[in-house]
Amino acid sequence: MPGVAVASDTVTNGALVPFSDDGTRDSLPIYPLNHGLAAPISRLAISWSRGNSLRVSLFSAEPSSGSPGAAQSGVGGKVVEVKLGGGDPEITDAHLRRIAYGSVPPFALLQSRRSELSVLSKAPSMATTYHIDWWEHVLEYSKEITSLLGGPKSPPNAIIEDPGEIVKTGEDPTCLKAAWELMEIFYADKQSQAWLPERLVDWLADYDSLFSSTQETIHSKLVDFQKELVNIQVIEDDARYWEVMSSALSVGWLDIVVKMLRLHGSYQLDQLSNRELENGLVEALAVLISKMPRNRPESPAGKLGECFKSKPDFTKAWERWRSQITKLDCSPFWIQCDNHQTREGLKNMLQIMLGKTENLCMATCFWLELYVSHFLYIRPFTMGIESMYNLAQKCIQLKPSSRTHRLTGLMIGIIGENTEVVLAECSREFGPWMVAHATELLTAGSEQAEILLHDERFNLGGISIVELHRLAYAQVLSSHALTWQIAPIYLTSCMKQGMGLLENLLYRQSVQHNDMLLKNIEICRLYELDHISSNIMKVAGVYHWKHGRKGAGVFWLQQAQDATRLNRIAQQLFDSVGKSISDESFKQWEGVIELLGSESKLAGGLEFLHKYRDFKKSLQQLSSGKSTDAARQATGSLILLMKNPSTPQRFWLPLLFDSLKLLNWHDCPLLNVSETNLLLNKLQELSLARLRPHFIKPNLPPEAISSIRLALATNLGRAILDE
Amino acid sequence: MQGVGEMAKELLSLDNGTTCSSWNYSSSRLATASSDGTLSIFNFLHPSSSSSSPRSTFKSKVHDGNIAKVVWVPPEYGDAVACVTADGIVSLWEEVAEDSQPLQWKACKTFRSSSTKVLDVQFASFNTLKMVAAYSDGNVRVYELLDPLELKNWQLQAEFQNVVESVSAFGKALCLSASISWNPQKGVSQESSFIIGFNSNTSELNSSKVWEFDQAHQRWLPVAELELPEDKGDQVYAVAWAPNIGRPYETIAVATHKGLAIWNLGLNPDRNGRLPVERVALLSGHEGMVWQMEWDMSGMTLATTGHDGMVRLWQSNLNGVWHQQAAFEPTS
Repeated sequence: MPGVAVASDTVTNGALVPFSDDGTRDSLPIYPLNHGLAAPISRLAISWSRGNSLRVSLFSAEPSSGSPGAAQSGVGGKVVEVKLGGGDPEITDAHLRRIAYGSVPPFALLQSRRSELSVLSKAPSMATTYHIDWWEHVLEYSKEITSLLGGPKSPPNAIIEDPGEIVKTGEDPTCLKAAWELMEIFYADKQSQAWLPERLVDWLADYDSLFSSTQETIHSKLVDFQKELVNIQVIEDDARYWEVMSSALSVGWLDIVVKMLRLHGSYQLDQLSNRELENGLVEALAVLISKMPRNRPESPAGKLGECFKSKPDFTKAWERWRSQITKLDCSPFWIQCDNHQTREGLKNMLQIMLGKTENLCMATCFWLELYVSHFLYIRPFTMGIESMYNLAQKCIQLKPSSRTHRLTGLMIGIIGENTEVVLAECSREFGPWMVAHATELLTAGSEQAEILLHDERFNLGGISIVELHRLAYAQVLSSHALTWQIAPIYLTSCMKQGMGLLENLLYRQSVQHNDMLLKNIEICRLYELDHISSNIMKVAGVYHWKHGRKGAGVFWLQQAQDATRLNRIAQQLFDSVGKSISDESFKQWEGVIELLGSESKLAGGLEFLHKYRDFKKSLQQLSSGKSTDAARQATGSLILLMKNPSTPQRFWLPLLFDSLKLLNWHDCPLLNVSETNLLLNKLQELSLARLRPHFIKPNLPPEAISSIRLALATNLGRAILDE
Repeated sequence: MQGVGEMAKELLSLDNGTTCSSWNYSSSRLATASSDGTLSIFNFLHPSSSSSSPRSTFKSKVHDGNIAKVVWVPPEYGDAVACVTADGIVSLWEEVAEDSQPLQWKACKTFRSSSTKVLDVQFASFNTLKMVAAYSDGNVRVYELLDPLELKNWQLQAEFQNVVESVSAFGKALCLSASISWNPQKGVSQESSFIIGFNSNTSELNSSKVWEFDQAHQRWLPVAELELPEDKGDQVYAVAWAPNIGRPYETIAVATHKGLAIWNLGLNPDRNGRLPVERVALLSGHEGMVWQMEWDMSGMTLATTGHDGMVRLWQSNLNGVWHQQAAFEPTS
């Protein structure tokens, strides 16, 4: 079942709905967690990954000696991943991701317009234009979203010129798109509020097929009949022909009805002469149907029916049309029509057009079709939403159904003007994407809804319902590697908690892969999350450092400005240089020193390490020979090192301790008076520094300071004598 | 319901005898350990994509006995895990490449005590890395890492019992289990705090308490006790501190034999330095021992697992009423 497998790792959105308002649900949904392990499970472990992906480890009980099967398999447990919410049984995950990506630009545009307008509306003169224009923006947004939800419509009355084809079965519409359009009709499209019933008629024409999943529909009847069509010899003798036609008529699919009427046998040339009267009645009905007045600005090109934009015109036309039907109904020709099937069938259609409840009830399959037929034939002058709810209740009573379709609850919520129900239905039936985006439509619908949805609630941790649903949607986005990058757009539209969640999301991104790391840092930069980016860089620095890539480690720690760790690294380098003077080991560090040295402040003044190496080398030469020149050279290096402000204080003592041999040079004093004084001052500074709290004790013998001081004093005496 | 039967995607099969597992910060590495003392590490290349298959990067016997728990160290300190054995020994293992040697997992520290066992450890990274360990004699120890690049050098920062009044005297405590959860806040400005509860024979020790580090006096203070008078001494199975992405209060889950309690913890202390607490829900579900509780990254959904073998999810509705949202039942 490929269609099912696509959403297989997702709890489909009928299942786990975040944050419903629904206190009435009494049964807890329990889902199986298939693991395929033979032995019983002894223990579970759980862990959340990013977003709402939950990882579960299942551990089998230890295989006992009596159960060789489990032991042989060698499998003692399973790790599985469950993604909660975000799927749709009708739509593939790939298509859902396309929708997710596609809805970003319209969403972002609407948010930026909102913030622009909120700035403008602070100026009192602009306040009124805000409300007038806003729904137009929302409508534009809604149209953009609609275009993502599916290809061009393939309504059942889109007939191609195959006389045998009554219903076109093209691309299947989705409930998601149907739900979105329904909300657009009621909330966003203020312009069409005047002909709301006609919009519903069109909507049902587009989406009637969706309801076939739970019950028989007119669409399914049409499809079934079409399959039979080739086998039917005399169409007008078939009861189903008349039944299907009156059904299609009851919901206003005029084109289909007229096309079907013209399949009537009396149109055939060889029969026309002896069935003239019969054919006249059929054609009369066909003409009447094709001239049915509709209260709407226009019909899609080529559609039957006559459109009247203004109410008075429509009323006049409607009354005229009705009187024509009544006239036809009372016509004496009926008695002369000797084809019983034709007579009864046509008569029934006339009753439908005359708005006889009983006939409409018979012709329609479920409440929504009956509902729409009411608008067409019983209450053609219905305006606005006021009486629509009661009518819906009545239709549901007349056409009770054992199973409720997922669109029904939404429909009832909308016409009942109950924002909470609409929201709950959106959430339960269509999932986080729908709620996060549809709140824009809802809030455009009424001020009341706007207050309800934007009101900040303590119970929700101080956020509004709108924000809550955006956070929930961002969680869904976060749980997939291909969509997490768009989560920040939704999170930053959340005033209170979006940034907090974004921080957590970014913190949980792996630093192992450089491209991902750069992407993370870029997101941090975009949203000014400096502390997060420095943490990410710190993690990356430590990761590389520990994994033997010292250069990359130092680079990222420098980017993170992590002085603590860099100082530790400097210390390690110093120790390593101090331990061994061999060029080989030093070469390993040289690149790192280079890297550290360029930003000496952070790296603890590591440029001195070069000088230190030179100094160590001259000391090494001293140990082999006893040349005073070499000693003088080493002393020069020492003075340079001690004078250089970039030499960190904590290295002073080890440097001086290493130089004891120079300070005690027996041939002559190597330091002049001022040089000796310099070193004595440094030593004094060090003694003071030892008293401060953060002093790092060098790893030297305890008598180090005193022996250095003694050597310096001796040297000073000799230098004074020399001078 | 469509597709629910295959909703769980298998990521990995585990060896016989595996007893515990733990994911790292980015859910890209999994550590598992087993009853024969083997520690295994698996890499998942792209954590959320469906195509990658895990690669085993380490598998070795690191203890003689049963490893009961494995915990990752925060990533600011490298890739490292702590193994807690059933005998109460903690060992730290770290993945490093030293001196041009290949990358390998190395032992870097062992915490053991002859008289008492470690029951749980948890790490938190504030300015330094801290490790809280709960011991079978009811003691809590906080260790601090001295050098951020060396997981060898630890210093005992504090040792105390999980009691509010230090004067209260009780007999020798015997604790079966303990549960620790750090405040997951990552800001450096935040005082470090954690919650701990015990499952022991000593009622004073059991109740879960929030401990906060008092910078001024360099000591740990109990700032809240999450227990109602009528539940005094109830053994605590598990605690979990929810991430806070902007709520004006903290949320903490505490599981006892009476059920799963959700507590809200105020942010502003009273004159005695105590934080206001309110139990906002007591929920029943697992009917018995709760093994583990985990909050999602928004701190809005709690996942729990326990003795009934189920995974359960809990959420608050729009009116702030907590309820069980869904459950998962393992089936073969």
